[in-house]
Amino acid sequence: MTIQINKSIVGKEYPPYPVTVERGKIKEFARALGDLNPFYLDDEIGRASEWGDLIAPPTFAVTFRDERADSAAMLRDLGTDISRILHGEQEFELYGQIQPGHTYLCRAKILDIYEKDGRSGPMAFVVRETAITDAANEIVARMRHITVVRL
Amino acid sequence: MKYGRRYFEDVEVGDEITPLVKGPLQQIQLTRYAGASGDFNPIHQDDEFARAAGMGGVFGHGMLTMGFVGQAVTDWAGAGRVWKFGVRFTALSRLKDTITCKGRVISKSSKDDVHLVEVEVWAENQKGEKLVTGKATVALPSRG
Repeated sequence: MTIQINKSIVGKEYPPYPVTVERGKIKEFARALGDLNPFYLDDEIGRASEWGDLIAPPTFAVTFRDERADSAAMLRDLGTDISRILHGEQEFELYGQIQPGHTYLCRAKILDIYEKDGRSGPMAFVVRETAITDAANEIVARMRHITVVRL
Repeated sequence: MKYGRRYFEDVEVGDEITPLVKGPLQQIQLTRYAGASGDFNPIHQDDEFARAAGMGGVFGHGMLTMGFVGQAVTDWAGAGRVWKFGVRFTALSRLKDTITCKGRVISKSSKDDVHLVEVEVWAENQKGEKLVTGKATVALPSRG
């Protein structure tokens, strides 16, 4: 049995949310990947580096979540549930480093929803973009996330 | 070379990045990645839930595999050099999979003192099936 999803949320902007990056969170994330790069883990090496502190791995911004604006909020808006979704595509554009102690503002928006027939039946593709800015309102990163909903 | 500095002049189109082998994938790593990333979808933790959802059992977070590929890129190019990194998830990772991340330089360009290298990247399991495919663009320092 196929389901209908609510496509009227294209263009929806979620409430902006701030994230303050904790030093321990960067280390926890790197270790969970099994990535022991000292620029993520060693405070001394971070301080001596061109960035003056630890930096985060390239996919770290996926940890930037907020219950009013994350995938759970999006699933509620779409009218579907977590057991139907898969991750289709993910992209990061990184304009600067994400570093400990800094507070970033995240703005998520639904860019597009389209449907296609896949190998296992009809699917909807939901394209969401999150823009991440720093305290000076400079863009630091942008992530584009395509969620696949099995209809 | 690992964690060292790679210069733009030392890279040629066609070069392969050093392959990175991860796994065998264990449940504890999926649980740890859930905690670190905040993605607590039970489909990566609870076999019964994953079966009921029609997925044939637990599978790994796509973002974990992407993170492995990211590590392959930064082990090769250096931390902090990634400008752009995008992938498509083409197959599921499963428990006990050995995941090998690979890449090949497809272009080089310089403009206004920014030296970019574009790398085609992918991760494959022990059967040679591609789990993710994509591209990473890194900005490397120049000797010039």
